[in-house]
Amino acid sequence: MISLTSPVKTRAHGWSAGGKLAALCLASVVLFAAPYLWFQVIAALSVLILYALPGGIFLRYGLRRIWPLWPFVVLVLIWHVATGVTEAGVVIALRMLSAVALANLVTMTTKLDAMMAVVHRLLGPFSRFGLNIRAIELAAAMVIRFTPILSQKGAALALAWRARSRRRASWRVIVPFMVLALDDADHVAEALRARGGFELDKDL
Amino acid sequence: MTMERNVTQIALFTALIAALGLIPQLTLAFGVPITAQSLGVMLCGTVLGARRGALAVLLFVGLVAIGLPLLSGGRGGLGQFVVPTSGFLIGFPVAAFVTGYAMERLGKFAVVWAAGIAAILGGVVVLYVFGIAGLAIALDRPVGQAALLVTAFIPGDIIKAVLAALITAALYRARPNSVPSRR
Amino acid sequence: MANPVKLLALDAVGLRIDGRDILRGISFATDARRIAVLGRNGSGKTTLARVIAGLQTPSEGAVQVAGVDVTRDRRGALGAVGILFQNPDHQIIFPTVGEELAFGLKQMGLSKRAVVERVSETLSRFGKAAWHDAAIHQLSQGQRQLVCLMAILAMAPEVIILDEPFAGLDIPTAMHLTRVLDSTDAALVHITHDPRTVLDYDHALWIEGGAIEVQGPAAQVGKTFEDAMRQLGARDDLTDLAG
Repeated sequence: MISLTSPVKTRAHGWSAGGKLAALCLASVVLFAAPYLWFQVIAALSVLILYALPGGIFLRYGLRRIWPLWPFVVLVLIWHVATGVTEAGVVIALRMLSAVALANLVTMTTKLDAMMAVVHRLLGPFSRFGLNIRAIELAAAMVIRFTPILSQKGAALALAWRARSRRRASWRVIVPFMVLALDDADHVAEALRARGGFELDKDL
Repeated sequence: MTMERNVTQIALFTALIAALGLIPQLTLAFGVPITAQSLGVMLCGTVLGARRGALAVLLFVGLVAIGLPLLSGGRGGLGQFVVPTSGFLIGFPVAAFVTGYAMERLGKFAVVWAAGIAAILGGVVVLYVFGIAGLAIALDRPVGQAALLVTAFIPGDIIKAVLAALITAALYRARPNSVPSRR
Repeated sequence: MANPVKLLALDAVGLRIDGRDILRGISFATDARRIAVLGRNGSGKTTLARVIAGLQTPSEGAVQVAGVDVTRDRRGALGAVGILFQNPDHQIIFPTVGEELAFGLKQMGLSKRAVVERVSETLSRFGKAAWHDAAIHQLSQGQRQLVCLMAILAMAPEVIILDEPFAGLDIPTAMHLTRVLDSTDAALVHITHDPRTVLDYDHALWIEGGAIEVQGPAAQVGKTFEDAMRQLGARDDLTDLAG
């Protein structure tokens, strides 16, 4: 499965994922704590510079990913201008854009397995309270493996429907789709058991 | 029910939510296209029940957070948790839990009614509470005004709840043993 | 030896699900390296495969593979028996080839280093070292079946059960996988409805209605089975509803 990591390699790709996440948390808190227009303008410009540093392709890709926010920006501005608090509106719109762009930046520069490793570390302490981290990791791997399979099967079902119908596949096709998913779950559970499953966790 | 089966069912339903988000052309009777993702969330509750349903959706949200493009339209990543509509995403696991809990509690109703009521409670009421709260915070507006913004989408989600009910009932007819929320 | 341990030993195995007998009184003990299980669709042969693999606990009787009670001793079972399912998509759990091969080895309790070594050793044995990071969903059906097989062979079980592994594969791919299987040290239990694929096997069981109809040398049992199937095929066979 394609992840959202940017194919354009940046220097930030090499930084530690945990560090980037901590910095993101800190930056977001500061962004939301500062209601000053000058501060938000500087913050937004800094984020823009961060996006521009790795080059034009990276910048365009990044901008495209925050583009879907435009209706909200328009909405906030109209609303606040109409109620006579223009400055507050600009602050909120800029803050929204900076916060989303920064979060996207971390996602774009961090590989999936690095993120998984951070999650693993963060969940570690909870294993003492009975959290089965291995089961979670296994389930995550299975989702990545089965999402394309299920969408292929869904497409095949829709085709089988159309082959015998004048109309496009309707929601009814979801029923056999779910039967397939449940059957697959049973088969995979068996394959998991065939290679030891979770029973071995007890004595590991 | 073995541990293996629990985990694979959760994983497969997580994949199902993602796959439903990848199928854009689900045309309703009136020709209204819908993304089926929140339908997937409702189905996790009505089919898997409270605990497993919520875990499947939680896994989905977690995988979106670490950067998988599982949301409809190929969206994903940490940015999805700070956009104005993030309340819906954050509310997904709670919506599935409430749906599943209601489904388990409505054991004496016919499956189709239980699933319908559960899906509306969890997948519409609870989900919109989260979604509207998120909008109100992000846009710095009173809750009432934020609610106005999303009223246009509520009929579509009620239709999805009805579909979730019909699908769950059809699944129960076809495979009574495959609907864990009813056992 | 006073009490020789047979490679495969089933003693009066029966399985009853929801009041229906799926398997009845199956007993055999053999040291044959190539064993065929023949039967029609719905005869119970796939269930028998799952019982031998320790995935299904029989209602009565005992199953031992290489001296291991596979239903109770799951850890021991990992080294005793592996199973190749018909559909590779039902077997592969991980998104990449390397992870898939590593999983079973980790389950066997190998150290991290040993797992990495075993995985790369297995891949290069089949000339597929380049597959380590390949995404499963980009492989063809035959390639995925080979991944399943490599994942099992990496674990080096004494016995490998094959549940119609060639159904749906083209002839060259099936021949390639057959060559791979012929070259392994493991004993094979091949479940199939096609007697021609197992003519050169040592021992064969014909399963009918959940019980052993005939057992003996594969060539002989295969011939009897094929003749009976041809006779049936000449009649209308789709009338009876199962159950």
